[in-house]
Amino acid sequence: MNAPLRRSFAEARQVEAGARFEPLNDGQVAVSYANATDEQATARRLGLADLSPLGRIGFKGAGTCDWLASKGLTIPEAPNRAAVQSDGRLALRLADQEIFLTAALSGTGEAPAELEAAWNRARKAQRGFPLPRQDTHAWFLVTGEQADSLFAKLCGVDLRPAHFADLEIAQTSIARMSGVICRQDLGGTLAYHLLADSASAHYLWGCLLDGMQEFHGGPVGLHAVQALAKA
Amino acid sequence: MASTQLDTPVPGLARTSAEAPGAQARGGVNRLTAPAGLLIDHNKPVSFTFEGKAYRALEGDTIASALAANGVWLLSRSFKYHRPRGVLTMAGQDANTLVQLRDEPNVLADRTPVTDGLEVWGQNYTGSLAKDRDRVLDYFGRFMPVGFYYRAFMKPRFDQAYEPLIRKKAGLGKVNLNAPHGYYDKAYLFYDLVVVGGGPAGLQAAVTAAEAGAQVLLVEENPELGGALSYARFDAEGALGLRRRQELIAAAEAQPNLTIMTDALCNGWFADHYLPVIKGNRLYKVRTKQMIVASGSIEQPAQFRGNDLPGVMLGSAAQRLIRLYGVRPGQRAAVLAGNDHAYGVALDLQDAGVEVACIIELRDDPGPGPMAAAARDRGFTITTGHCVQEAVAATGKPHLGSIRVSRITGPGTFDHGSERVDCDLLAMSVGYTPTYQLALQAGGRLSYDDEAAHFEIERLPDGMALAGSVNSAYDLEAVEAEGRRAGWQAAQALGLDAGTEPAVPAERGAQGINHPWPLFKHSRGKDFVDFDEDLQVKDIVNAVAEGYNELELVKRFSTVGMGPSQGRHSALATARLVAKETGRTVAETGVTTARPPFAAETLGVLGGRVFEPERLTAMHHRHLEQGAVMMTAGLWWRPAFYGPKEKREDLIAKEVHAVRHKVGLIDVSTLGGLEIRGPDAAEFMNRLYTFSYKKQPVGRARYLLMTNEQGVVIDDGVACRLSEEHYYVTATTGGVDRVYRQMLLWNAQWRLQVDVASVTAAYAGVNLAGPRSRKVLEHLGSDIDFSAEAFPYMGVRTGHVGGIPARLLRVGFVGELGYEIHVPSGYGEALWDALLEAGKSERIKPFGVEAQRVLRLEKGHIIIGQDTDAMTTPDEVDMAWAVSKKKPFFVGQRSIELRRRHPSARRLVGFTLPKSSIVPLESNILLDGEGEMAGFITSAARSEACDAVIGLAYAPAETQAGDSLTIKLTNGRRLEAKACAPHFFDPDNQRQEL
Repeated sequence: MNAPLRRSFAEARQVEAGARFEPLNDGQVAVSYANATDEQATARRLGLADLSPLGRIGFKGAGTCDWLASKGLTIPEAPNRAAVQSDGRLALRLADQEIFLTAALSGTGEAPAELEAAWNRARKAQRGFPLPRQDTHAWFLVTGEQADSLFAKLCGVDLRPAHFADLEIAQTSIARMSGVICRQDLGGTLAYHLLADSASAHYLWGCLLDGMQEFHGGPVGLHAVQALAKA
Repeated sequence: MASTQLDTPVPGLARTSAEAPGAQARGGVNRLTAPAGLLIDHNKPVSFTFEGKAYRALEGDTIASALAANGVWLLSRSFKYHRPRGVLTMAGQDANTLVQLRDEPNVLADRTPVTDGLEVWGQNYTGSLAKDRDRVLDYFGRFMPVGFYYRAFMKPRFDQAYEPLIRKKAGLGKVNLNAPHGYYDKAYLFYDLVVVGGGPAGLQAAVTAAEAGAQVLLVEENPELGGALSYARFDAEGALGLRRRQELIAAAEAQPNLTIMTDALCNGWFADHYLPVIKGNRLYKVRTKQMIVASGSIEQPAQFRGNDLPGVMLGSAAQRLIRLYGVRPGQRAAVLAGNDHAYGVALDLQDAGVEVACIIELRDDPGPGPMAAAARDRGFTITTGHCVQEAVAATGKPHLGSIRVSRITGPGTFDHGSERVDCDLLAMSVGYTPTYQLALQAGGRLSYDDEAAHFEIERLPDGMALAGSVNSAYDLEAVEAEGRRAGWQAAQALGLDAGTEPAVPAERGAQGINHPWPLFKHSRGKDFVDFDEDLQVKDIVNAVAEGYNELELVKRFSTVGMGPSQGRHSALATARLVAKETGRTVAETGVTTARPPFAAETLGVLGGRVFEPERLTAMHHRHLEQGAVMMTAGLWWRPAFYGPKEKREDLIAKEVHAVRHKVGLIDVSTLGGLEIRGPDAAEFMNRLYTFSYKKQPVGRARYLLMTNEQGVVIDDGVACRLSEEHYYVTATTGGVDRVYRQMLLWNAQWRLQVDVASVTAAYAGVNLAGPRSRKVLEHLGSDIDFSAEAFPYMGVRTGHVGGIPARLLRVGFVGELGYEIHVPSGYGEALWDALLEAGKSERIKPFGVEAQRVLRLEKGHIIIGQDTDAMTTPDEVDMAWAVSKKKPFFVGQRSIELRRRHPSARRLVGFTLPKSSIVPLESNILLDGEGEMAGFITSAARSEACDAVIGLAYAPAETQAGDSLTIKLTNGRRLEAKACAPHFFDPDNQRQEL
């Protein structure tokens, strides 16, 4: 097999942690670190997964929401809310006319490239502008019952489940970095997507793992996340 | 009164642990038998050392309680007079117990737990703690009067002669500069209600609010809940406190929405109830909607000569030793009573096996209180209307041996005749101050009830309430009722249904709790008001006499209240003294301003876990693998050069050589990237940058120069026109954030149809530069035609390189044929690998920032921020060519035109020195003929291509090529350089346009 063309921004950290990788798109994704049972237990307690190899894209500007709705997407009713699409993709509404669209955790659903191609074919007016979110932002997922306690050490927003609803978004500072946090519980397990500067992914991964130590959390692979979602 | 002189040496002091068989095994000679001691575990002994000597303690002991159990009462030496000091409060509130650990000075011995193997020393002494040679200073007090520092340091000769000596003697403890770094961090918490203080009032408040449904955090400074219920005596039998403690704690622990945090200190109040709570090495930043302060009260010492001797302590300190740590605080005690609590102390002492020699009652009649009645029933000797005029040390020992008791003749005065009472413990119970700090920080005001001789707190901010003795409630029933009502009020304020309002008894127990004047000034002094700063009654009196009649001035002149305990035990006495000396009431005198923090906090706690974001390019790990020495550029890490540090100059020269003669590859991912899109993109660019962009062809790049509204150069880069409505713009690594903000600001004002997107992190970039760069790309394979005709200089192309989608720019920052290749950052590493592989046959070499600096300097290309400063105009740096004269507007245009009417006195010129010359540093200055500064150097390097040392410098505007420039080096040496045009290498740009 040829070496993957794409690298996740925190891949070196995952290699150090003994991740097992599988090809995904034109790169590879960390699918596991330990046996499935242990890793799923970690994911339910406090897990950190790198979903950066999965697809994502953004659109912003006048007409964005209408155009995406015309493509069959469910647009969240208000900024700082997210909507799960029928195919598992997640549409995060970051502003009145700004959407951050992530791939489904299963890897299924329309690929971002197809949506961008559709944008290119569309009429110029009233469609907004695509944003290269695949490369501007790393995509991490923090899972487990202690996830809000971890964020309490890194972020000044009250993310406790009773105060931060499922599919709610906070655009805030995390470990002195700008980032987007979106809660999306997986099969009843508390989980938060974290989207932040890709160039700082290495740093942020380290901060998150450091903060997890007291809760006995650790890295988990895509398979553990997918298992949570199916639970 | 009968003398009760002892006929033997003070027991307990003379007897060492070695003389008491089995004493060590049970944790010291003064240790009470199990189950005495709420906080200790009699079955878990630990060992530690103090002053190099080993002692046994029990798990749960503090350093001070463990030493007391072992009969060691001398803990420290006082700040100024080096007087022996010991336990005063046992509450972690005074400076007497500051000790030195291996890695930390000024640790409170009565708060810090003993751990196995802990090494503890006293501090602030010369020689040994017991025989401190500096104790001689105690005899020179008359030469160190109040305000001594202010007077002494006003005289210059004194500064020179004695300042070094005083500096050496000043300060407490020693900082271990080699102490290991601890792990500290911070966390945010959010609650409906925070209750500070886990005593009876706080527990009741927290439980009441939690029962109503509030999310409550209860913060308790001590390791166990209970407050005074844990150590004080509330009834004659002595069982009520502990029983109520157990009941209240059980009720609190049964509340699912009540979080209990013990060993946690709420160390301040900030606006909107933002509370710093320190627990261990973590600082919690707590947001709460409501706050109840149930912080209790601080027992106050009496003032008499020798009131600081070890063995003289607060009544509550003796009770804490007995009930919390199972330590007998002495063998033979006297109790100084100014309130009924003193009788509880006496009862506790006797129950602990301490002989109570007498109770010296300041009042003429203690009244019919149940505790006093119980004391009478036990047959204690109660001497009313008397005071302690002096505490006297046992012969040859730094500890109380006896007291001299005199009849009171008026407020603060006494008969000179006295009776001696031998005792090794004097417990004082004469009054309290509310623990008012948090309430006052929040804007509360302190008033003084002259009848009760007691401070009270008024005018609290919204959302804050007081409960318990901080609110002048001392009767236990009233304290608990106040707590319930405060919790109910907080729940109501939160919109919760908390039922009917709890009643609070009218009798709150404040009357008689404070003796109005427990100050007995002695003609020979040493009647301490402030133990931290060694301030006596006469010092406060003299400060007022000097004219400092406001409390804030007295504080600054005398330093009262400025020590580690921050006036906890001196504020009331000082206010009373100042009031008396100025003929005002205590209420009019008040106390000094309360500011955070409440207690000392470490820098580690304030710093927390240090978050230092850093940015890595997609090729970062390749650079490390290839031996790069990395350097920072803003938050980014960039390769400075490749290879060992010690070969720096040689390696940089080789990298420069490779670019000039073969091909080099540099990571330029850190360059800022911005997408400007929309129908008005060209108009937007035209307004924002100095050059013209409306007619820029698609597929072409154009230089960018940005000025601010003052006409100052603030950034540069390249604009790539990818379509009629799309520019891809690069900006400097350090400037892109500012540029992006400027773009958003102007776009909001101009309301053009433009979208601005920051895509710096989205693209990895390399500059493939050198005469063989085209060949490398051809080796790699691409859908782009790289011929000079098809892809000329300043051309822009999109396509694929080695199968990777890419944007390519033909630009010439280093002055060679070159291509900037920008790819989605996820592909950055693959691109880097592919180019190095494809370039092997062309002898490709990665190069770093240092080589790039030399290469660009040879071309005379400026670096914004290095070759420009906060005043630089385009004209000064020979950039007038980049400023359009035809545009109606661009940011900075008007200022540039105005400044051209008053031409600058300086401009950036090139200079050369012989190749063998030393390379001057950036910022070395130029001198004119008079030896005055005439300019400064911004860049300099040794250039192989130019066979000279070359550089850029701001020089007088009239400087011509060939003029001599005098450079003053950092060491003062001077060099003579020749001015020249700032284009040293290939001035006709033939190489980059190949």
